[in-house]
Amino acid sequence: MMSTPIKIRKPVMWPSYKIRSLLIAVALILAGLVLGGLASAQSSLRVALEIPVQLDPAFASSDSEIAVLNNVYDYLVDVDSGNNIIPRLASSWTVSEDGLSYTFSLVEGVKFHDGSPLSAEDVVWTFDRLRDPELELPTANLYSNIASIEATGPLEVRFTLKDTNPFFLYDLSDNHALILKANTEDATNFNGTGPFVVDSYSPENRMELSANREYFMAGKPGVDKLELIFFSDQVAAVEAVRGGQVDLVMRMPTPLFVSLQNQPGLETVAVPTNGFDLIRLRADRPPGNDPRVMQALKLATDREAIREIVTLGFGAPGKDTPIGPLYESYYAADLEVPARDVAKARALLAEAGYGDGLRLELHTPDSGDRPDLAVILKEQWAEAGVEVDVLVEPESVYYGNNGWLEVDLGITGWGSRPIPQFYLDVMLVCGAKWNEAAFCEESFDELVQIAGSTLNEEERIATYREIQAFLIEQGPFIIPYFFPQFGVISDQFMGFDMKAFPGRTDLAAIRPK
Amino acid sequence: MAVITPGDASARRQSPPLRLLAARKARPASAVGTSIVVVFLLVAVLGPALAPYSATEQVFSEARQAPTFSHLFGTDRLGRDVFSRVVIGARDILSLAGLGTALAVFIGLVSGLLSSYIGGWFEELLFRFYDSLLAMPALLLALLLLGTLGPSRNSVLFVITIAYIPIVARVVRSVVLDTKTKDFVAAARMQGESLPYILFREILPSVLPALAVEAALRFSYAIFLVASLGFLGVGVQPPNPDWGLMVSEARTYVSLTPWALYFPAAAISLLIIGINLMADGLKRVLQLES
Repeated sequence: MMSTPIKIRKPVMWPSYKIRSLLIAVALILAGLVLGGLASAQSSLRVALEIPVQLDPAFASSDSEIAVLNNVYDYLVDVDSGNNIIPRLASSWTVSEDGLSYTFSLVEGVKFHDGSPLSAEDVVWTFDRLRDPELELPTANLYSNIASIEATGPLEVRFTLKDTNPFFLYDLSDNHALILKANTEDATNFNGTGPFVVDSYSPENRMELSANREYFMAGKPGVDKLELIFFSDQVAAVEAVRGGQVDLVMRMPTPLFVSLQNQPGLETVAVPTNGFDLIRLRADRPPGNDPRVMQALKLATDREAIREIVTLGFGAPGKDTPIGPLYESYYAADLEVPARDVAKARALLAEAGYGDGLRLELHTPDSGDRPDLAVILKEQWAEAGVEVDVLVEPESVYYGNNGWLEVDLGITGWGSRPIPQFYLDVMLVCGAKWNEAAFCEESFDELVQIAGSTLNEEERIATYREIQAFLIEQGPFIIPYFFPQFGVISDQFMGFDMKAFPGRTDLAAIRPK
Repeated sequence: MAVITPGDASARRQSPPLRLLAARKARPASAVGTSIVVVFLLVAVLGPALAPYSATEQVFSEARQAPTFSHLFGTDRLGRDVFSRVVIGARDILSLAGLGTALAVFIGLVSGLLSSYIGGWFEELLFRFYDSLLAMPALLLALLLLGTLGPSRNSVLFVITIAYIPIVARVVRSVVLDTKTKDFVAAARMQGESLPYILFREILPSVLPALAVEAALRFSYAIFLVASLGFLGVGVQPPNPDWGLMVSEARTYVSLTPWALYFPAAAISLLIIGINLMADGLKRVLQLES
């Protein structure tokens, strides 16, 4: 009897393992390619912003608020990074001979996100709202010089002014002047004409937007999705960009920016601005009502040391005037502030009756480099016999209830504006809304008035020069530096052109490489 | 676990500090803790004598220097010596937290003793008020109070006291409620002893062990609270060398001057760990005795 051979199960051989794993690998690679292809078809830009609070264009003011709105709505005219006026919803404009009448032609075929077309009526309604004295919006004063606004055609608007205003186009491009649809009842409904449409908004968390495919500017926006991620803390935002959780962050403290320089995968930019921190003493009551006190404080301040330490050498030196080097044609480069002279400062204080020393409370918001600036000033002024108690307050407390306008001695941060006239009008003219130093000098007001109304550029340059000379000598504040703004973006993107006011940066121009 | 072995019976007759020393042998952790606290206390007492520089003097030419022999902990962004700031800051934080704790313990003890012994509506009212304070976390309560009072040293002192009175009072109460039913208290009452005598001579000794441990723990929490408030910017104001404030200020500079952040942060951690270890040892010694 023949024994049946015992069947031995053949062990699985190596080659088949290899083939199988090869197949799996190929399948995985293919799947990866397909998924990757899908992902790149849906390009997205993730931007870290501080938490926006006011999203009604009439009230929005912070960088992050404007950054949100600048993507949802459009301005009539815009300002480029070289401070030139450029078209946006207005494709062209003409100015009458007397400089009192501006006529704008609107771009054809622009649609709001709800599908309705843009018309001249929308522009008229928007600016009538902003200038209506009864609504008491923050822009009412800015536009009080407008005599009338009328739609002279379906896509033509005419503004008529009461007095000439050489900066009128800049005023029209004011941060608040985003065009809403006529008769909008809820100005926070995000029904704009802008490059991105709001998909979802989760307050204090994030906003998701997708590209407005009918946007009127060719080639914009450059990404399909825009994610605005809100951070309450700048350190966290910077760490997020370092870790790759966001692609773009604008505005950050200098030392954090320095730590991101030379970081692989990131591109860093430092943009010069006309933003500054100022130290001002109220001029309407003791001790500031004696101009010698402010002069003494100026002489006791070591500006070079401040710039070296506070701004780590970035930015431009300040000369106690808000007209900085960014305004090339208006900036008087040859005027100099007096050198530090502690002995002279002491003498001036003694003359003013503070020979036995002067004790002051220095209020400062807790943001940016201001607390450091306060601590440095405390040391420097102590040498001149001025004793300072530093009081660091959260920004909301410092600016809340207009407390900052009340304190005697304070440090205030001012953002960059495209024209210098703005600062003079709101902070230095008698009774101006944000005249924090309560400064009032009639001869100075006259200069400001001339500079802000003359159509003669030569005359304006000369007047600004006089204004700068006056402020260096008798101004109520110290402006030690103009700070730069910093931006950091992932090197996977191009087209990032940060503006001096980062909120006005054109995010729609950014595209993947 | 026996800390003091029967052979150590003599230890029981020693004074409390000596007993703590005796316990060191048995529990090295609490010995380490106690040593840390003693070192910090010495630093706080000697303070400016130990610091090579002033805490606030800014030497711009020496800003942002890494630790060297002339600047042991380096210099901060404003050119101030971090070692001097930490050393001089020790006095500030220890005195602030210590004084606050002492006030809280004193007021908590007296109010807790008195109200728990007397009882009735007085006790009800007081402890419901304490409960309402306890309902809020100490830090939240502190922020609320500082928001109203404005930031200053005295406000921080006040805040620590207010925040910790109810906790101390509750600990005292828990012991008093038990002790006051004891026979020796009844005996004292029948002898016609005065109220202060009964409270402080009869009841207080039973409260002391728990109180001592609680006081040590409160002290470490108080240090943490002072540092937290400094960090949040609502406590001691710059340029004072407050450790919490120093950590907060150095935060954005962490990549440029990490030492200005690490040393004060390490000081806070080390001191709190030290106090907690010490309190732990204290608790074991006192538990063993009772």
